[in-house]
Amino acid sequence: MLHADGVTKRFGTAVALDGLSLDVAAGEIAGLVGHNGAGKSTFVDVVCGLLRPDAGTVRVGGRAPSAARADIGVALYPSATAAEHLALFGRLAGLRRHALAAAVAEVVDALLLTDFLDRRVGLLSGGQQRRVQAATALLHRPALLLLDEPTAGADPQTRESLLAALRRRAADGAAILYATHYLHELADLGATIAVARRGRIIARGTSAQLLVGLPSEVRLRAEGADEVRVRTTDPAGALTALLDRAPGTLREVDIRKPSLDDLYRSLAG
Amino acid sequence: MTDSLLRIAALARHNAVLRRRDPGQFLSYLVMPMLLMSVLAPVFRRAAAGGSAQVVTGMLVIYSTLALSIVGTATLAERVWHTWDRLRVTRAGGAELLLGKTLPAYAVLLLQQAALLTYGAVVVGARPHGPAACGLLAVAVAVWSATLLAAGNALAAVVRSFGELGAACDIGALAFATLGGALVPTSMFPAWLRPAAPASPGYWALSMLQAAMRGDVHRTLVPAAVLLTAGLAASAFAVRRLTRPRGRTTLL
Repeated sequence: MLHADGVTKRFGTAVALDGLSLDVAAGEIAGLVGHNGAGKSTFVDVVCGLLRPDAGTVRVGGRAPSAARADIGVALYPSATAAEHLALFGRLAGLRRHALAAAVAEVVDALLLTDFLDRRVGLLSGGQQRRVQAATALLHRPALLLLDEPTAGADPQTRESLLAALRRRAADGAAILYATHYLHELADLGATIAVARRGRIIARGTSAQLLVGLPSEVRLRAEGADEVRVRTTDPAGALTALLDRAPGTLREVDIRKPSLDDLYRSLAG
Repeated sequence: MTDSLLRIAALARHNAVLRRRDPGQFLSYLVMPMLLMSVLAPVFRRAAAGGSAQVVTGMLVIYSTLALSIVGTATLAERVWHTWDRLRVTRAGGAELLLGKTLPAYAVLLLQQAALLTYGAVVVGARPHGPAACGLLAVAVAVWSATLLAAGNALAAVVRSFGELGAACDIGALAFATLGGALVPTSMFPAWLRPAAPASPGYWALSMLQAAMRGDVHRTLVPAAVLLTAGLAASAFAVRRLTRPRGRTTLL
């Protein structure tokens, strides 16, 4: 659904995107991770048409990226109600009358907006504003949905309702590009992962594929001795060796498998 | 085409709702000139023939120019709230966004000027000379409002805060309106200042409105053409600044 090839964008002498290539298939949730300044937001801006790339191509469903719809952070009218936001963005997306009413009812239900639908968003909490913002992006079932840190500062209820809505959209065939720093959300979503660094994708795959070869951590604590931690790709062998050398009664043993955080640290540097 | 019109209508309706919820500036720029017209009318009438028309059109030009801030605030708020970027990633094109955004503001400017002219005619006694003059006044108000709309959007496209916008509107409006003869007729200016008056859009607005009140077609349409040209230039600048693909809005 999304095909980006060799996308380059410079701001003066600073290179924000340096030949970034990325494909996201229909029905796939792709997590885009990387440090601040890695190029995530710039890439989202290019894909949704806010920025024109200096080089490279971006296609959404084989065409210029007009089919993409983006949630690019909280951007709401403080004096308009949540319902008015949904009506505006629904109409701008081409929804009318019954189709608009049905789409609004669906996102209101999915993102738990009922209680504050007729309140001005300037009076809502940050989490409620997040939900309204996400609802405007989800409203009309775009073929490609771009989300730039949609849960930043959101409460657990907001996060869970949004992730559930995204899972449903992906199951319905939408391609979702999800830029975030919260790696556990990508695990919850079952997302594939693209790691960006200095404007390029330096790793791409499922979390299982990317975690292969990363060391586990073996932790052992015995009575009368300091805690021992060993990072190893052979946790069973390391544990056996540690147990052989343990001086006293064993108090605690733990093997922590590599996580997405470890992957992120190892790749994004 | 139909889809485009529906999007413009949706945006215009939304912006009209926002405008209706924040009427303070509009009321201020409506009531203040009415008060000043009433107070200054006897003075202007004693000072010169046509004093009533001068005070009504003068106050209209000053306060409609100050109302640039209404247009500017509406557009700048979109940049401050980042909603402009949010709108830019919808199906609506740049021209649709600007039309939907500015139509309600245009209506506000038309309403303000129509109300002030009506007040001027009924209370101050500055009446248009016949039905033709009424038609010309309608044209003049439409042209002046369009010019102000373009200038307000151009201003909002370059300033970086509401403070900057307020300062630019207040100082600019008073300077241009005064230089154009809205406060004191240009005939009473010192000789060295008089040649500078046509540099102000206020001068052309005042000439146009006063000629329209007299029913003078030629002297209405020439300034109207000057103002429309300036308005088109300002519009082109605003469209370019607000719609070009240069990433998310950043201010300050």
